[in-house]
Amino acid sequence: MIIFCSNNSEEYVLVENRKKQTEFSKLIEPHLTSLYNTALRMTRNQHDAEDLLQDSLYKAYRSLDQFKKDTNFRAWIFRILVNTFITAYRKAVKQPQKISYDDLEEFFFFKRLDETASLQEMPKEEFLENLFDDDVKEALENLPYQFRLVVLLCDVEGFSYNEIAEIIDAPLGTVMSRLYRGRKLLQRYLWDYAKKRGYITDDFKQKK
Amino acid sequence: MTSNKKNESTQHKNHFDCTDVEKYVQQYMDNVLDEEKKRLFEEHIEYCLPCDKKVEFERQFREIIRLKTKRLVPAEQINQKLKNLLKNIY
Repeated sequence: MIIFCSNNSEEYVLVENRKKQTEFSKLIEPHLTSLYNTALRMTRNQHDAEDLLQDSLYKAYRSLDQFKKDTNFRAWIFRILVNTFITAYRKAVKQPQKISYDDLEEFFFFKRLDETASLQEMPKEEFLENLFDDDVKEALENLPYQFRLVVLLCDVEGFSYNEIAEIIDAPLGTVMSRLYRGRKLLQRYLWDYAKKRGYITDDFKQKK
Repeated sequence: MTSNKKNESTQHKNHFDCTDVEKYVQQYMDNVLDEEKKRLFEEHIEYCLPCDKKVEFERQFREIIRLKTKRLVPAEQINQKLKNLLKNIY
């Protein structure tokens, strides 16, 4: 039997804690900005985003033993962030959202630009470049959270379908349908913003 | 035509038309189409200029969303703040 005298034991714990902190910092630091960015788009404000991130970091650190070495740390930590978000915002996220999917079509933005006579002379790409960062932010933040989450994870953070399925704990089919709908919704919202801000005057060509 | 028949005809297609491009564009861009569909998709946009333009626009659309979203949080400005957040949990 080994008996540590109290001083040594305290020192041992301290050293072990240091080691764990260093290990965790090394793992987490490359992902901090991405995590914060996602937290910010999900909570929609800085203060809540910082809280969410801090809670997630705390949980991750406490459960670091459960993370299997050499597996996907990025997916693991994002999964914790998503779970923490859903737990904290359970009430808000459970509210049914009324969205009409009827006019969700592919190439929505392109087609609307194409129909708009006042934009005929302008290259469509230029129109995109001219959108403000804040328009994109608002359109994104208005997406219902289920859609916003998968669009952020796939199109901003670059996760694969399989990784997203793991992160949000949903079947692949659900990931795909939310992603495809989310992107189409985003185009519709962005179009609405562009109109609201007067980038587009309601000058449409007659549809054939 | 029953929907069953329609499905079958899609499965055994040996060429893609513009509706197929709409149907598969997201999967094409996410690079998850199987080899055969990917080939048919590319074959179509190679000769169909309107579809090619749409797909190209879609690509730029996504890129702009990505860039603008990332730009909303300048990394340099918040790095220190985030490191402090991390320190708080220990």
